[in-house]
Amino acid sequence: MKLKSYLKLFKISNIDFSKEIGISNVSLSRYISGERLPEKKILNKIFKLTGGLVDANDFFLSSSPSRDLSEIHKEEIKKMVLNIRKGKLKDLAKAITLVESSLKLHKAQADFLLSKLKQNKNSLRVGITGVPGVGKSTFIETFGMSLIDLGFKVAVLAIDPSSKRTGGSILGDKTRMMKLSVNKNAFIRPSPSQGNLGGVAKKTSESIRCLEEAGYNIIFIETMGVGQAETTVYDMVDIFLVLLLPSGGDELQGIKKGIIEMADVIIINKADGNLKNTAEITMLEYKNAQNMISNIREDISPEVFLCSSTESIGITKIWNFIKKFEKIRRDSGSFYKTRIQQQTKAIWRNIFLQSQDYIENNLKYKDSVKKIIKDVEKNNFDVNNASKIIFDSILKRNT
Amino acid sequence: MDRKKLYKGWEEQASKELRDKNLEDHLWETPEGIKVKPLYTEDDLQKISHEIGLPGLPPYTRGPRATMYTNRPWTIRQYAGFSTAEESNKFYKEGLKNGVMGLSVAFDLATHRGYDSDHPRVVADVGNAGVAIDSIEDMNLLFDGIPLDQMSVSMTMNGAVIPVLASFIASGEEQGCPREKLTGTIQNDILKEFMVRNTFIFPPKPSMRIVADIIEYTSKKMPKFNSISISGYHMQEAGANQVQELAYTLADGKEYIKSALERGLNIDEFAPRLSFFWSIGMNFFMEIAKMRAARYMWSQIVKEFKPKNDRSLALRTHCQTSGVSLMEQDAYNNIVRTTIEAMAAVMGGTQSLHTNSFDEALALPTKFSARIARNTQLIISEETGICNVIDPMAGSYYVESLTSSIVEESKKLISEIDEVGGMVKAIEMGIPKMRIEESSAKRQARVDSNEETIVGVNKYKPTEKQEINILSIDNEEVRKRQVSRLQKLKNSRDNKIVESFIEKIKNAASSNENLLEICIEASKNRCTVGEMTSAMESVFGRHNLSTKTISGVYKNTVKNDGKIDIIDNELSKFVNKKGRRPRMLVVKMGQDGHDRGAKLIATAFSDLGFDVDIGPLFQTPEEAAKQAIENDAHVIGVSTLAAGHKTLVPLLMESLKNNEASYIKVICGGVIPPDDYPFLYDLGVSKVFGPGTNIQEAAIEIINLL
Repeated sequence: MKLKSYLKLFKISNIDFSKEIGISNVSLSRYISGERLPEKKILNKIFKLTGGLVDANDFFLSSSPSRDLSEIHKEEIKKMVLNIRKGKLKDLAKAITLVESSLKLHKAQADFLLSKLKQNKNSLRVGITGVPGVGKSTFIETFGMSLIDLGFKVAVLAIDPSSKRTGGSILGDKTRMMKLSVNKNAFIRPSPSQGNLGGVAKKTSESIRCLEEAGYNIIFIETMGVGQAETTVYDMVDIFLVLLLPSGGDELQGIKKGIIEMADVIIINKADGNLKNTAEITMLEYKNAQNMISNIREDISPEVFLCSSTESIGITKIWNFIKKFEKIRRDSGSFYKTRIQQQTKAIWRNIFLQSQDYIENNLKYKDSVKKIIKDVEKNNFDVNNASKIIFDSILKRNT
Repeated sequence: MDRKKLYKGWEEQASKELRDKNLEDHLWETPEGIKVKPLYTEDDLQKISHEIGLPGLPPYTRGPRATMYTNRPWTIRQYAGFSTAEESNKFYKEGLKNGVMGLSVAFDLATHRGYDSDHPRVVADVGNAGVAIDSIEDMNLLFDGIPLDQMSVSMTMNGAVIPVLASFIASGEEQGCPREKLTGTIQNDILKEFMVRNTFIFPPKPSMRIVADIIEYTSKKMPKFNSISISGYHMQEAGANQVQELAYTLADGKEYIKSALERGLNIDEFAPRLSFFWSIGMNFFMEIAKMRAARYMWSQIVKEFKPKNDRSLALRTHCQTSGVSLMEQDAYNNIVRTTIEAMAAVMGGTQSLHTNSFDEALALPTKFSARIARNTQLIISEETGICNVIDPMAGSYYVESLTSSIVEESKKLISEIDEVGGMVKAIEMGIPKMRIEESSAKRQARVDSNEETIVGVNKYKPTEKQEINILSIDNEEVRKRQVSRLQKLKNSRDNKIVESFIEKIKNAASSNENLLEICIEASKNRCTVGEMTSAMESVFGRHNLSTKTISGVYKNTVKNDGKIDIIDNELSKFVNKKGRRPRMLVVKMGQDGHDRGAKLIATAFSDLGFDVDIGPLFQTPEEAAKQAIENDAHVIGVSTLAAGHKTLVPLLMESLKNNEASYIKVICGGVIPPDDYPFLYDLGVSKVFGPGTNIQEAAIEIINLL
């Protein structure tokens, strides 16, 4: 149990307790508030004095989000959250920056910020993917504008590739969403994929929560359809749209087959002009292929649509299907159940990310680890044993 | 003695002079990928693939006229537009007194894009970079006291080509000059707008229909008027190399011929009235060879359409010295550059020529600089004796070889266009735009790493600052005057008749009726340029450009002389401090569609490791601010080339302030007169970069700024 609750339960004053352990009253209140962590020696004393009711875990768990954060920072974040709810663009934008940042302080701020956000059950999170040139942005422009006309607030998170070599990127999504980008009821944020360790895509679910707090009720997440980002994004959205070009043949258009299998909606885009016939043939091919693929959702099967973003064809049909999809799944409870499952996945994803962060920024620089690696380089040591010893040292550190 | 032996003797001699260096190392590969040898001989003349021929006769390689300058020199035609019709009128009259032989009208950006001066989107554009024309009333003022039946008028207009040409024709008739007597040229080259300059209004398809409407109308009713000026100029300005400029322009020409033929016109009805427009840069011999190659190739292209009249095969052209070759630093050098370029245009056999004023990298020309520009041509024409001989370069081993190489290289590009089904298709796919941007990024990288010399910029820099007097325009004043004139017009005209013409224009747009014909009548009845345009827009829609960008080209071309390492180092320090890369939003505000600079900055900075957001063209300051805030950019880079900065930047700063986002830094780049720097710094702009800025140095400065 928490130390605070223990003292309250047994009606022990702070001063008495601090004397018993042999620390100042000030230090004790810092331990209680979580501002500081007790050393091992003190932890042992507390454990003994409380008969094991207050153990080390109670300090770690209570302190995680705000551990490294000063009161000033906390106040800033609380204000930020209020402003986000008021609809201030600046604060929403800054919040997403914190979420995506690789800076330790920013991460702590983001953790605190996220702990202040509410759960939003009414939003709809829509993943959209497709190869470059398939017309994702133009589709979102047309679709998004029609949703705004229906009274929705629309947000778009676009994940753009960073250059592997230079790390820089060009984020040009808004040039293809001219109307949406200037609309009051739309928020568009392109992010470079390499901005954060392990890729920004993995932080997208946090950005989604910020957008929901600001009142955006339909949120698009746009990815390139060629890499790892899609599977990650799939685990953050309620419905997954895959855009394809009208072209025959079983060449899967440069898009990974696994991605098409995840689709709830397949959209054959650019079905206009002289591509119309090709588009229809493509649609039939995919409709046939759909029969072969087992349904991923237990309550509704994926569908294939023709669409022309420039001629606004197919938009209404697609929206009707999405509405139907949402209704069936909300009614059956599977909509929310999937979100719960996604949360569990998110926990493991975060743990994985943090371990990766620890390895990249900490473990690799430890003298003992460096020495082992030197030994391997000199052939004094084999790879298997070296990795085992290093991994065991992590486990020991945490027990 | 045998020729081969003679050449061998030279080789030995040359090798001796070079000592330990190799003769092979003296091959110069031009940006076009043509390998130029140190020496050309008679042998090379045997290998050429084009036909040289005689001037005034097919294939016209040596010139479209038999006598060329020996009978009459080229036309000195200075392009200018001075914000209002009255001021431009004064400038024209001044020029006519001083040896200028033809008028050339530059319109302001609002007019180009078909907006009247009172439209909210063009607050900063009225009177910038040219004259504001809202209606026939402005046209009447523009040509007041200038007899249009005697004076040839060239108009640079592509987007709002129908209402502007219509107002011009109507104005001529009100002056007493019947339309068949009008002489001059309308640029009317919409394809290159989609490629580089972006002053289009409608989507490609209806735009091509408009081109055909004009070709059809002028070929029947205005026999002395050039219906189109197929322009490579803006491609070179946007960074195209000479081969790209030539090939894409000829391919455009081919597309226009096809669409006029589809209209049912006979090739000989219109082909003699097609004219061309080249940019002439600093690669002297390459430019001469380009012009000769162009004439040869055009004759071959037109031949495929089986004309009966030989005149259909002759390419006539206007030339302008290169604007991008003008530098802000050490600006008087520009006089020399322009002179050399003008010489190339003349040696290449141009029919008319505009020479730039030396201060055009800073602002619009002053009276003084305009005079020097004019005199440059007069001196070449009247003091050098060049005009006494036709095509003096013909037969030169080097020039003919180069001409032949250009023909071969251009053919490759043209067949690439043909393979995808013509220029409209290629433009939709973004092929030419991408190739041009690639060349542009490569060139910048060469200049930044001193592989290409620009005197006074990356070599032999001046030690003292020069003061140059420049012309500045009070855009707000011009706009107020235009708006009140519009108000007067709208109050005095018969608005019912105007309404009926708007309906007629809509009907014509949705049927096959000729739009120019109906708009001439509409102008006479005081319909404005904006009204006619929006009538057509209601049927055609307004075209939005989807911006494509390239990456990697700059980084691959630039030589690392240590600066790149400094940038990498600064960047990683930045990331450690801020938790992400520096993020810059590059914006173009207002109606200025010249996005070469913005694209170049975007691709180069992202190659250097920045995260670069780009905004849509034609943004308002409020839209730019919203985008910067949403994307949480560290800095906004404003690219400005059309003097809109004095209105737009204050609005941008204000908009940021209103949104409590003054933490976002603002920098400006482009054509900004040094006199405006203090004004911008006072507003809170962090840094202003002029033309010719080294991008890597700028990157370091920006990182430090943040």
